[in-house]
Amino acid sequence: MKRIGLVFVIAILCFVSLEAESSGQSTATDAPKNGFGAQGVELASIQLASLKEASAEEEETEAVESSGETVPDPLEPMNRAFFEFNDRLYFWMLKPVATGYKTVVPEEARMCVRNFFHNLSFPVRFVNNLLQGKFFGAFEETCGFLVNSAVGLGGLADIATAVELKRHEEDLGQTLAVYGSGPAFYINWPFFGPSTLRDTFGMAGDIFLDPLTYLGDFWYAPYSRGLNVVNETSLRIGDYESLKKAALDPYVALRDAYYQNRLSKIKE
Amino acid sequence: MVVGESMHRQTLVRVGFIVILGVSWAFPAWAGVPTDKVKETADKIIAIVSDPSLKDPAQSKQRRERIRRTVDELCDWEEMSRRSLGRHWAQRTDQEKKEFVLLFGQLLERTYIDKVEGYSGEKVNYLGERIDGDYAEVDVKFVTNKNTEIPVIYRMRAKDQKWWVYDMVIEGVSLVNNYRTQFSDIMAKSSFEGLMKKLREKSAE
Repeated sequence: MKRIGLVFVIAILCFVSLEAESSGQSTATDAPKNGFGAQGVELASIQLASLKEASAEEEETEAVESSGETVPDPLEPMNRAFFEFNDRLYFWMLKPVATGYKTVVPEEARMCVRNFFHNLSFPVRFVNNLLQGKFFGAFEETCGFLVNSAVGLGGLADIATAVELKRHEEDLGQTLAVYGSGPAFYINWPFFGPSTLRDTFGMAGDIFLDPLTYLGDFWYAPYSRGLNVVNETSLRIGDYESLKKAALDPYVALRDAYYQNRLSKIKE
Repeated sequence: MVVGESMHRQTLVRVGFIVILGVSWAFPAWAGVPTDKVKETADKIIAIVSDPSLKDPAQSKQRRERIRRTVDELCDWEEMSRRSLGRHWAQRTDQEKKEFVLLFGQLLERTYIDKVEGYSGEKVNYLGERIDGDYAEVDVKFVTNKNTEIPVIYRMRAKDQKWWVYDMVIEGVSLVNNYRTQFSDIMAKSSFEGLMKKLREKSAE
């Protein structure tokens, strides 16, 4: 199974490189031809080196006293109100719906739905990898998208992971951070949950890169996004509960978890 | 000839001595390898939670007790408490510290046991480790049966000739940093006593 997938990837690689060479006129967003792979590898090793440095530095400061960075929260009263709202939304609506959905739809099918939506949002990851200069990431994401779309029945099966193509989850919020934008301040949106001002702009921009926005008629996007949310929730029932159970102040715990997780994603 | 040979031997001995000294300085052999310590504990816990004779709900208490004892051998609760309180730690009396370590340790243990009790065949991959003197980081990746990968970093410190975990970084979120943010927020709005009250309520839940 794995070997077949690998052969397929290699075939696609050949096809892609041939295509790049034959079509002389490539668009501005295309990576420079020929040096495609080599540049990616070079970039990856540079990234690795800087990562090593960072971790060494981190350990030094760690030894003294790990200093916790926190996100400014000037809107805390409003955010806390929306946190309560989302909390109730989860326990009174989302969780019962997702639990019902879970009993009807087998896990394999729900994994397929997850894979499908993930595969479909490829343009978001592709463009943001490019915007951050991560050409190898964009390349590997493209391979994954092609493999999953063609062999994985339009993205229902995640063949890319099975043949060890890595995921490069990049979004516009991270791109803005790479360009030097700080998070500004924390916002806990009703329905959408934890974000920052920067990540809100990022989310809004990414909507334009999401094919769901353009597929079908006006109602297609909200319905399919709703399905995505219910499906994701059905695969994660219990996560929010255990966060709440472990926390002394669930609002602060969620805010900090969101912020730390974003910082680590930006650093990647 | 004889003189030359003994000189040669002397040099060899000296070089050998320097090499041994260098190696023993670079790798504190007494502490063992951090990854081994994490792996040993994880294997023990997986054995406990997969043990069919302990699956029976009547055995639940005994099962939790065995997990608890295993985790106690890995985690340095006092170090976790100290780091989670940050600069507030030094201002507390020994009595206060003792109660705090006990309550916070119980909360962490309970959270951890709840997590591992839901174990359903997740794979554990050990990706590598970094050692810097008395400190170490062990990189682990859990692969769930839903094929989700969860990267975890165990931060460890050598104490009493053993490696102890003092922080876990799950998907980029440090447990200690997360609690420190909560604790300092609570203390800024009320007091250490207020924090202790919340902790006591939590452990009574």
